[in-house]
Amino acid sequence: MIITNLPIWIVDMAGSAAMIVLSLMCLRLALKLKHLDKSNVIWTYLAWVCYALCLFAFSRGAGHILKHVMVMAGRVNIWEAIRPFSGSINTLSFMVVSSVTLFFHRTWIIYRDIQNDKLALQSLSDELLFFNSHLERLVAERSKEVAVSERKYRRIFEVSKDIILVMGKDGIILELNPEGYAMLGLKRADSLNGKRFKDFFSDEKDWGRIEKMMERNGFVTNVEIELKRSDGARMGSLVSGSLDANQPGQEETIHFLVKDIEQRRMMEKQMAQADKLASIGQLSAGIAHEINNPLGVILGYTQLLLRNEKIETDRYNDLKTIEKHVKNCKSIVEDLLNFARSSKPEIKTTRINEAADDVLNFILHHSKLDGIDIIRNYDEEAPPMLLDEKKIRQVLINLLMNAGHAVGKKGSISLSTEYIRQDNKVAIKVADSGYGIEKNDLTRIFDPFYTTKPTGVGTGLGLSVSYGIVKSHGGEILVESEFGKGTLFTVLLPVVSPETGD
Amino acid sequence: MKQIICKSIKFLPVFLAVLFYSEQAMATQKHGGIEGVIVHQMAHIIFVGAMALLIYWLRQHGLVVNQGWRRIQYAAVFFLLWNSNAFIVHFLEEQVDILDMAQIGPWQLRLQAQPGFEWFAWLYYLVKLDHLLCVPAMICLYSGLKRLLEAPASESRPGKMEGS
Repeated sequence: MIITNLPIWIVDMAGSAAMIVLSLMCLRLALKLKHLDKSNVIWTYLAWVCYALCLFAFSRGAGHILKHVMVMAGRVNIWEAIRPFSGSINTLSFMVVSSVTLFFHRTWIIYRDIQNDKLALQSLSDELLFFNSHLERLVAERSKEVAVSERKYRRIFEVSKDIILVMGKDGIILELNPEGYAMLGLKRADSLNGKRFKDFFSDEKDWGRIEKMMERNGFVTNVEIELKRSDGARMGSLVSGSLDANQPGQEETIHFLVKDIEQRRMMEKQMAQADKLASIGQLSAGIAHEINNPLGVILGYTQLLLRNEKIETDRYNDLKTIEKHVKNCKSIVEDLLNFARSSKPEIKTTRINEAADDVLNFILHHSKLDGIDIIRNYDEEAPPMLLDEKKIRQVLINLLMNAGHAVGKKGSISLSTEYIRQDNKVAIKVADSGYGIEKNDLTRIFDPFYTTKPTGVGTGLGLSVSYGIVKSHGGEILVESEFGKGTLFTVLLPVVSPETGD
Repeated sequence: MKQIICKSIKFLPVFLAVLFYSEQAMATQKHGGIEGVIVHQMAHIIFVGAMALLIYWLRQHGLVVNQGWRRIQYAAVFFLLWNSNAFIVHFLEEQVDILDMAQIGPWQLRLQAQPGFEWFAWLYYLVKLDHLLCVPAMICLYSGLKRLLEAPASESRPGKMEGS
């Protein structure tokens, strides 16, 4: 068949021209994209694809146009000469486009990896920046918390009423709180300067015990010991401590908490003493009542017999001896009853300063107290009180006589009164500079018949009777003594007002 | 180095003998006849394969959700079709026993097909209009590139890079 080739010619010419133009336009866009982001490997890839397509479009389009021009110009032989070259370039351009296209997958993977790495880096950078700023805030907050915490624990350390002590493994005190300085009798200005905790232990065995427990368990709890202050005074204490071995980069330390239990110990001793004396009092009262009646009968019959007996006879003298010793016995029994507080006090309004002064004058008058300084110090504010004046006088006589005996020929005796307003009590203090009382005797001085005086000098009932009298008034009698330096007796009496009676 | 030079000198006579006394070795061959057509056709097949792979990869990487890349995918489809078309044209042009084609004058074409293969003539006439496929391919490519250029970076370059 014969057919017009005009449509083919038009489509071929126009298409070839369009291909050339469009390939150039595509290349332009691809280069623009590449210029937009030079590091983007995909845009580079598209640029290469467009370069290849340009080559293809030019080789093919130009070849086709040239062919038509040559044919129309009747120069088919020229076209026949060019044709193999045009076709070869055309084939080559296909191959180039195909080859470049085949790199898409690999290029895309590279691009994806780069992008992912970039994103990861960016994310990491953002994260780092965030953490950096967050960390600063966190560190600031934490520092503030640490400062507050440090202040809080520092305050606990400083205001604690117990000893808080930090000791190194070598036993040297590293830190000591202010109460520790006070309780151990150290001055703040004193440097701890290599002082060891064990140096403050009265008994080295106690320290050895604590050391062993610490080695075995790593802690000690409520170990009762006696500490020795720097001035030599002893102090009953309760020690707890633990080994701090978990501080990285720091040496092991031992933290101790030491409680002063001296007061508690004293109170326990006093209570035990009071219990003991109460028991003795009960026993004494029972015995005294039983003995008092037969003594009364003996005394009565003795005195009855004396009436009919002539003076200066042997029988009269014998009866007098019996009467004298029975009276002594009755006096002792009466003292025992006073100690046991079985007799009811005869209450009347008493001015304590006057009573004390009368007693002191009486003692000065009847005892040989030459060479002894007598110091009087009465509190003018001491109010009138409801007391059994006679018995209180007896207490004061006993205390002053004991003081005189303790001082000997040279020394001082002080008698003072003090009104303790907050407790509504009056304290009568008798102090001497005598030889004092030994520590072991302190717990027994109020026991009946206990005396350190030579036989026949005292009955050992003076302080017992005084104790009973003071207790029957609802008061207390306290003693402080340092052997070789003197003794202080303090009689604390509650103020019972004559107006109100309470 | 000296040893290498000495060893090379030993082989020099052999080299000279081969150079001056050689017969026809048949080391090269002529490339004439249909060979150029076959190479060209193979190039078209490779082009088809490359475009098919491109379409597959664009889809596999999920790029076709983006309009720019989708249009580039369409360009690949057109190029694939055009290559197939061109392959047919060249194939038909080589079937000289079945289809005889000749230019009669500047604007007329004579297509003489063997009985029973008349449709070859019509097919040949149709596939000769191959620019109707490659021009749209270029238009799609241009349009896709334009879209990539205009689109925001996040759209044209997905932030989350996935795919194998």
